[in-house]
Amino acid sequence: MIPVENFLVLAAVLFCIGGLGVVLRKNVLIILMSVELMLNAANLTLLAFARAHHDQHAHAFAFLVIAVAAAEAAVGLSIVVGIFRTRRTVQVDELTLMKH
Amino acid sequence: MDGVTITFYAFSTLIIIGAVMTITSRNAIGAVMSLVATFFGLAALYALLYAHFLAALQVLVYAGAIMVLFIFVVMVLNRDEIHPFSTRGWSSTFAWLVGVGSVLYLGVQLLSKLLNFTVSMSHQSGGAVLHRDAPPEDFGTVAAVGHLLFTDYLFAFEAVSILLLIAVIAAVVVARSHRSGAYEEPEAAVTESHGGHA
Amino acid sequence: MEEFPLHYIPLLPLAGAAFCLLFGKRVGKTITTAVALCSVFGSGLLVASAVRLLHESPVPLTDTFFSATWISAGDLQLSAGLTLDRLSSVLCMIVTGIGFLIHVYASGYMAHDEGYTRFFGYLNLFMGAMLILVLGDSMPVTFVGWEGVGLCSYLLIGFWYDKEANANAGRKAFVVNRIGDFGFLLAMAYLFSLTGTLKYAELPSHLQTLGQTAWWGLPAAFFFGILVLVGATGKSAQIPLYVWLPDAMAGPTPVSALIHAATMVTAGVYVCVRLHVAFEIFPLTLAIIAIIGALTALFAATIGVLQRDFKKVLAYSTVSQLGFMFVGVGSAINTPTSVTSNYQGAIFHLMTHAFFKAGLFLGAGSVMHALSGEGDITRMGGLRKHLPHTHATFLLCCLAIAGIIPLSGFWSKDAILGGAHAAMWLPKGTGGAEVFFAHHLGLILYLILLATAACTAFYMFRLYFLAFWGEFRGTDEELHHIHESPASMTGVLWVLAIGAVGVGFLGIPDVVSSGGNHFGEWLLPVVREQAAEESAREFWTLAVIALGASAAGIGLAAALYLHGFSDQVRAMAAAFPSVYKFVYNKYYIDEFYNAVIVQPLRWISLGLWKVVDSFFIDGTVRLVGGLTLVVGKVVRYAQTGDVHHYVAGMLAGAALVFGLSVQLGGCHGYKFAEAASVATPRLQRMPRREHVTPDNVPLLPAVPGNGLIR
Repeated sequence: MIPVENFLVLAAVLFCIGGLGVVLRKNVLIILMSVELMLNAANLTLLAFARAHHDQHAHAFAFLVIAVAAAEAAVGLSIVVGIFRTRRTVQVDELTLMKH
Repeated sequence: MDGVTITFYAFSTLIIIGAVMTITSRNAIGAVMSLVATFFGLAALYALLYAHFLAALQVLVYAGAIMVLFIFVVMVLNRDEIHPFSTRGWSSTFAWLVGVGSVLYLGVQLLSKLLNFTVSMSHQSGGAVLHRDAPPEDFGTVAAVGHLLFTDYLFAFEAVSILLLIAVIAAVVVARSHRSGAYEEPEAAVTESHGGHA
Repeated sequence: MEEFPLHYIPLLPLAGAAFCLLFGKRVGKTITTAVALCSVFGSGLLVASAVRLLHESPVPLTDTFFSATWISAGDLQLSAGLTLDRLSSVLCMIVTGIGFLIHVYASGYMAHDEGYTRFFGYLNLFMGAMLILVLGDSMPVTFVGWEGVGLCSYLLIGFWYDKEANANAGRKAFVVNRIGDFGFLLAMAYLFSLTGTLKYAELPSHLQTLGQTAWWGLPAAFFFGILVLVGATGKSAQIPLYVWLPDAMAGPTPVSALIHAATMVTAGVYVCVRLHVAFEIFPLTLAIIAIIGALTALFAATIGVLQRDFKKVLAYSTVSQLGFMFVGVGSAINTPTSVTSNYQGAIFHLMTHAFFKAGLFLGAGSVMHALSGEGDITRMGGLRKHLPHTHATFLLCCLAIAGIIPLSGFWSKDAILGGAHAAMWLPKGTGGAEVFFAHHLGLILYLILLATAACTAFYMFRLYFLAFWGEFRGTDEELHHIHESPASMTGVLWVLAIGAVGVGFLGIPDVVSSGGNHFGEWLLPVVREQAAEESAREFWTLAVIALGASAAGIGLAAALYLHGFSDQVRAMAAAFPSVYKFVYNKYYIDEFYNAVIVQPLRWISLGLWKVVDSFFIDGTVRLVGGLTLVVGKVVRYAQTGDVHHYVAGMLAGAALVFGLSVQLGGCHGYKFAEAASVATPRLQRMPRREHVTPDNVPLLPAVPGNGLIR
């Protein structure tokens, strides 16, 4: 039996890696992927506690998180495509139209 | 070390390596592939947690649908990056440091709190709080989770389905060519594919 | 109290005004004229039928149509009602009757004016407002009409607003009237704070309250009376607020006749008579009214002697005659048993004055019409041959205002002179002040009025001779153009002239012909008759003296001006140039007001504008705006447009919130668990359905862990 703490540590590490990806990378696609990583870290935490408490409500939450992540990915990627069409780039540091 | 423990550590290693490769890869295709590996590893861990239904969903939706979408977009837009990490100018460096610091701080704090929580749970008077034994027979099955979703979470479920519908429409609208129509604009497709090859 | 649909009386002209102003331009002059005249005629008919009822019994007519709550604020509960008693019926008849005549006249006089329909709209609006003023059953309703006529006066004085002098005259009238209106408003507030009512009908039941001492040993009624008097001096152009009326002649002549001679300017007199019970509590208030009236009468008459503008002379004459009316209002006789005043005389003079002064103004209008707008009497002369009708009616009106027997002015002016002669504001006593008010003041005022009457006769006939006798002093071209006015104008002139001759017979004193004083009897239900009954001998003595004064004035005018400006006039003007200039420039009162009141106000306003408004208020606003700009200039560098910076900021914020909640909120493990244990029951209270499968086996067996967190 794996203690729940192991899963929590793993989720925290995954969350940090995702966060670093968001902060460090310039490629919008990678940033989106990192966000997916962070969402999965959250899911892992939910499921770990669900198992520890023998409570399935967290499963429903995880299900909803996956659905929302799918929606987010679809819209996010279409935005990326749209941006690429007009700006010919997916590097966020070149997308500075909102500059002062 | 029983089989379960070995499985856990094996997949944990896979997840961490995959995640690190995802965020460090210069090549977007490589990043996507690493991410797929990470998701598979996560699906395995979900199964270890008796979340069989969600493990299946993880493979189907994430590793299947979402990653296909990513690959598709990457194929269209992909270019190798010479400088994958943004470090342009002092302000970028500053933001970089702040971001990394914040992320690490958050991770450590969250972890410590959660661990604290589980420890205190374990030491609660009045008996064990966290179960180390196996959950009931139907825990995490499609029937049980589905039952929950269609009873207690029916509203959220329907709301999410509408959200997905909106997302589909939004994706079509946003990604469509902004000129009169995508079908009558062959040169847009040409430039896109051109960009993809570059 | 009898019911009568009084609200139609002001409503008809108001509806006419709305029609003329809204649709006049579209429907054309003919229909506009028809609507305007018919609405006034209709309300005149209503007044006539109401007066017939009043003739049968003096019970006031009321209209409950407006009796619902009009203004409700705290203790203040006001209903807007209309009432018609015998006093207001006189005013109503004058307003609708003379108003109708002047409407007819204006349809000829203004025929070629571009603003024809606008003019009739304003004129009808004035009629409506004036009728509300007269018919109001409480001070606030009267005040609505009071402000309404003020507005119309402003609009009509500045009717030809493209000339700056006219617009300025309108503004001056408005501003000066505002001072008076303020007095009236204060009077209302004061009366309400004392008695809690503003209805005229309820006033007599609050005399006790009004008689109580307020300040400096004087009763509240005194202060109330003074405030009303301030309002009255503004509207009725008395010292010190008379200055607007001469300038008001900038408006079209029918306006001068209707508003600034016959009706609106008498509103002050009317209101004073309306509130007479309050004045009678403290007769010295009436003495002040009389003194102001007498001084105004003499003052304005002396200015009128030297004026050269046709309408200016008439304007000063109006101010002077209004002074007569105020003396009539103020001529109280205080006997130990009762206090009464010469209200009949005042209202009688108001009525006769309305006829002959309207006739004079309209005659002036006819003259100016003939001379293409020329109003300078030094450029007139010899007009009697060219304008026979105007000349005849003007002469009749001049005789009436001069007080020649048996024309109307004789009877009304004599009533006022007699009242002033008999007046005693304190019962006969021994003290110093009492002797003055009981014996001397009445005589002094009588002598002042006598001198004024002589002056009046002089300047009116000076005007008459200069305009209608002698040789024409204008250019030949003007002479060629002179033509008699159309029938719509001369007809009205004749009606008014006949009125100027005839209405005086309504008020022949009882001592002359027993039962002849129909007018006094008519007003008796409203005001008591003046206590002193003079003998026939006394009356004729005073009458002969007054006639002598008038005759002297006429004779002097004839001697000096029969053939234009005579050598004697020039010699006198040359001999006393400073006096001549002093009087000709109206005693420099306008300049005095300008220096003492207007200029300091300008300086104060300038200071407020430059220092308070521009510097402090605008400065504060600009400071806030400037600060925002400066902060924005600095902070906008945070908007790099780089997503990473935003993400870093967001994450830093999240870390900060988390860290703070750990530090401050004590998000430690133990408390966290406690919080969870508090929160958990809620989760478990969610309705747990009996999960029943077809084979009746619970899908979710009771989990041992459930509820253990508690």
